[in-house]
Amino acid sequence: MAPDPDLPPEQAAEYPPELSRLPPGRHGLPREFVAHNQRERLIAGLAEAIAENGYSGTTIAHITRHAAVSRRTFYEHFSSKDECFVAAYDTVMTKLRERVGEAFDGADDWPHAVKAGIAAMLRFLAAEPNLARLCMVEALVAGPVVVERYDAAIQSFVPYFQSGREGRSQEILARLSPTTEEALVGGMMSLISRRIIAGRTAELEILLPDLVEFTLSPYLGSDEAARVAREG
Amino acid sequence: MRPPPGRQPLSKEFIAQHQRARIIAALAEETVTQGYRAVTVADIVRRAGIARNTFYDNFSSKEDCFLAASEFGATEALRRVAAAAAEFDTWPARVNAGLAAFLHHVATEPALARTCIVEALSAGPAAVERYERSIQSFVQLFRLGRKVSPQGEELPDTLEETIVGGLFWIIYQRIVIGQVGQIEELLPELVEFSLTPYIGAEAAKRVAAEQPRTTAG
Repeated sequence: MAPDPDLPPEQAAEYPPELSRLPPGRHGLPREFVAHNQRERLIAGLAEAIAENGYSGTTIAHITRHAAVSRRTFYEHFSSKDECFVAAYDTVMTKLRERVGEAFDGADDWPHAVKAGIAAMLRFLAAEPNLARLCMVEALVAGPVVVERYDAAIQSFVPYFQSGREGRSQEILARLSPTTEEALVGGMMSLISRRIIAGRTAELEILLPDLVEFTLSPYLGSDEAARVAREG
Repeated sequence: MRPPPGRQPLSKEFIAQHQRARIIAALAEETVTQGYRAVTVADIVRRAGIARNTFYDNFSSKEDCFLAASEFGATEALRRVAAAAAEFDTWPARVNAGLAAFLHHVATEPALARTCIVEALSAGPAAVERYERSIQSFVQLFRLGRKVSPQGEELPDTLEETIVGGLFWIIYQRIVIGQVGQIEELLPELVEFSLTPYIGAEAAKRVAAEQPRTTAG
């Protein structure tokens, strides 16, 4: 996804543009930009309201209050709280997958690509506790439509690990089973979710060495995996 | 209800226990059919074939009933895991037997499994907290593996959480895609996945090749 050309670049760099607030003190914006931005404000408002009240406890009034828009504006963009949540979920997951993909592609070899990808994921989630909660915890509460998306999103990380099979010896390949990658991704995501539920989102990045060692061990053996995990 | 002739009348406690179990089973079946959010007390009452008052004699609400179902499912699973593991002397063999019993339980009680492993995550904070406690119990069982591992405490701190999380994710996925009936086929690879960090790939493969199911079933 290309950065939103209507947003100031410093914001686009730090914060998912879809979730940034209307810049203070700017007026006389073209109508189209305001409309586009109202949607973003509603999504950010939803994330804040959920962080405060949980998904079930969140009402449209909470969302519009956090977004500082009218109820009518809400209904111009979304027909329900569920629909707003789906939009928010997709926005956050797209951003997260983008960050992970960029980090993974920028590394020199597969083990370091995995490490960079996990680091990017932890950094994104730790820096955005409301969004982390929205996409890793509340998504499961938000009804079947979102749960399906959540399952698919988790499974979408499987191919990053599967690519680690390329070029491995027969001996290593014999140790891997068809479900190895699913179990690695599931284990990693489960640990991250549990830390978020426990209110320890800000500390997520300290999990990096453990998660790198856990996920690389089946492919590299535990000694080499531990070495990559603990490199600076 | 009159007791059959020549038998002691059933105790109040027995009837109450039986009713609770029946209501819990009804909740699980309704949850599987329509998802937890949509289930009403009326659905549960109809499915269980009891009076509405009987439901409220046992539970204060749908949520209360759901928590009881989670409690029952989790306690029963752990009891079976412990019983199966107790038949073996070494930790790796105990893991193999315990996991076999767990998968068998999940495969034979699919409605309860779905309620406890899939729906619990969306059933509110108390249900999530109960789920979390189950995970924690399994984490403790895996931690015992550090005593037989040459790396011992050098293993990553979070290893057990990631192993248990991985196992539950695989089971969750199979339930969601409707393949929970075949879940026992995954036993060897899941045992290997769980044991390799502690005892190495070769030893884990050997343990996983032994079939403990005959005694655990």
